[in-house]
Amino acid sequence: MSGSTDTNVPHTELPVEAVSTVAPSQPHPTHTPLLQFDLVSKWYGPVLALNQVTLTLGGGITGLVGANGAGKSTLIKLATGQIRPSIGRVTVGGLDAADWRARRFIGYCPDHDAFYEDMTGRQFVREMARLFGFTSHEVRTRTEAVLDRVNMTTAADRVMRGYSKGMRQRIKLAQALLHDPGLLILDEPLSGIDPIGRREMLDLFASLAAAGKGLLVSSHELEELEKLTGHVVLMGRGRVAAVGTIAEIRDRLDHLPSRVRIEVADPFGLARLLLGTEGVLGVEMESGGEALIVRTKQVKPFADRFAALVVEHGLNVRQFEPLDESLHAILGYLLGGSGKT
Amino acid sequence: MPTPTDSLLRYRPWKGTFRPPVFGAFAMARAGLTVLLRRKLFWAVYALAGLVFFFYFYMQYLVIWVQQQTADRTAVVAGVPIRLSEFTKFLERVNMNGTGLTFGNFIWFEGYVAMIVLALAGAVLVGNDFHHGSLPFYLAKPIARRHYILGKVLGVGAFVNLLTTIPAICLWIQAGLLYGWQTYYAERFPLLLGILGYGAALTLVLSLLLVASAVFVRRTVPLVMVWCGIFVLCPALANFLAFNQSLGTTWRLIDLWNDLYIVGLWLLGVPTTEARSGFEQPPVWQAAIALAVVCLGAVAYLGRRIRAVEVVS
Repeated sequence: MSGSTDTNVPHTELPVEAVSTVAPSQPHPTHTPLLQFDLVSKWYGPVLALNQVTLTLGGGITGLVGANGAGKSTLIKLATGQIRPSIGRVTVGGLDAADWRARRFIGYCPDHDAFYEDMTGRQFVREMARLFGFTSHEVRTRTEAVLDRVNMTTAADRVMRGYSKGMRQRIKLAQALLHDPGLLILDEPLSGIDPIGRREMLDLFASLAAAGKGLLVSSHELEELEKLTGHVVLMGRGRVAAVGTIAEIRDRLDHLPSRVRIEVADPFGLARLLLGTEGVLGVEMESGGEALIVRTKQVKPFADRFAALVVEHGLNVRQFEPLDESLHAILGYLLGGSGKT
Repeated sequence: MPTPTDSLLRYRPWKGTFRPPVFGAFAMARAGLTVLLRRKLFWAVYALAGLVFFFYFYMQYLVIWVQQQTADRTAVVAGVPIRLSEFTKFLERVNMNGTGLTFGNFIWFEGYVAMIVLALAGAVLVGNDFHHGSLPFYLAKPIARRHYILGKVLGVGAFVNLLTTIPAICLWIQAGLLYGWQTYYAERFPLLLGILGYGAALTLVLSLLLVASAVFVRRTVPLVMVWCGIFVLCPALANFLAFNQSLGTTWRLIDLWNDLYIVGLWLLGVPTTEARSGFEQPPVWQAAIALAVVCLGAVAYLGRRIRAVEVVS
């Protein structure tokens, strides 16, 4: 995998500007990005699945979120070279994604697990390893290494027909890691895995990212995704609605006030204080009268001012909770509805 | 204190160079063969193929041995000396004596067995990649679509050759040992080329046809029905049109199995008048064109359909 190492950039250097609808695309970075979409559109017959997507990804973990039919799967298939764009260009490590050589940079873990069910896990991973053109010795060593990496060595000799969903996910991940790719594309890698398994998988993803790899993780498990990464690509109706960290995207939605729930001993007194405070757009009393819902332009400056108020007036604050800083809420703002995917 | 990369110590970065993608195609062929050999149900059909082979093997041994034993001998019957070879002449009509027709007929029979297995296994070998969606596992690897097709065709081809060409070569070697290897192998060398040619034609046509039809129908029962249509219904229709309706031998071309047989006999140097059906046959060049059209059609179809996703409406 020469060529992939010099393309790995730290997560912090990711170009956040690669937004197709929220902001115009910026010039490409001087280094070769791991994955790049240039004004890519894809039609399936009369159906427009992806609409003028421009996107640049480097190292680190990036979440890919959106409702069903948003175009996530099409984007992944384009990135892995399984389909060609109708318009535009997709490159992986500088190579056209449809070129088979580009797939040496990519490890792909599909969402469905259609295997040769009568093979054992080890046999399946070996068969996949042979597709890369490894020698027999390399096939064995790489297979054992990845099985160990995903913690499947002990169960690898069982027939896959009897595997649990979590085991299948691990085997799929193992075959994606075989060639030590610079970019891992994971489609719903957490679905069907129990909480302990999820923790292990999240740790594995984090360690891979720490080793300099780029991970594009498509998932409907937004809470888990938020634990894994703050950097997301939000998709809706075939477009990339926004790219960046959750906080950055939320800040860009400055026309939509943020809501903060504050639980204090004297909510009416606090309401009086807040109405005159800079940055507060409105205050509502929660039903029951135990807490206030404050609408503010940006949460962080408000939090600073609120902290000063607490000290100055000796307020007894029981809870301070931003209500719509989550990925769910942002998705709801951008795409409409509750943000449920 | 542990670091996040501690657990990566066993999983080492890949430093080597990859071999060309054609090795991926070989790997796919190997996986396909493994699937075919792993199914216990198919071993009943392999036993049938084994029976056909051993029948030919021992019959060839018997026929040649009898012919050699009686070649120069005479028997006196009621005081009249008669050459024994006159009594055993009928054995030549059995066509199990190391001639072109021996190998042509043998491959014809064994090919039918291969066809039955392929009809049953096509869905597992190819159709499931589309039906269950395992194609992305292949297409996301560093191989092109042509390597995928090549891998599947190689797997089917290897299987067809295991059941037809290789046993036929064994029979050719056996015949040489029975007749006398000093003369037989040199004089009948074109037969070996003919066997290889017939095997290649079978491989090409059956593998492309199987992969294309399995991509088209994907599941076992429809695939068996399609193959029954091609190799049972079409021959019956061909005979009906060509002979019952007297529309001419050109209509026999829709019998693909017969086309393969005619081309195979031509490669083995046997005139089509000696073909086993006994009916009048179309010219070899027409049969060859019919096979080429089928192959090109299959390749064109596969080129369009080997895609991970399909057009949705």
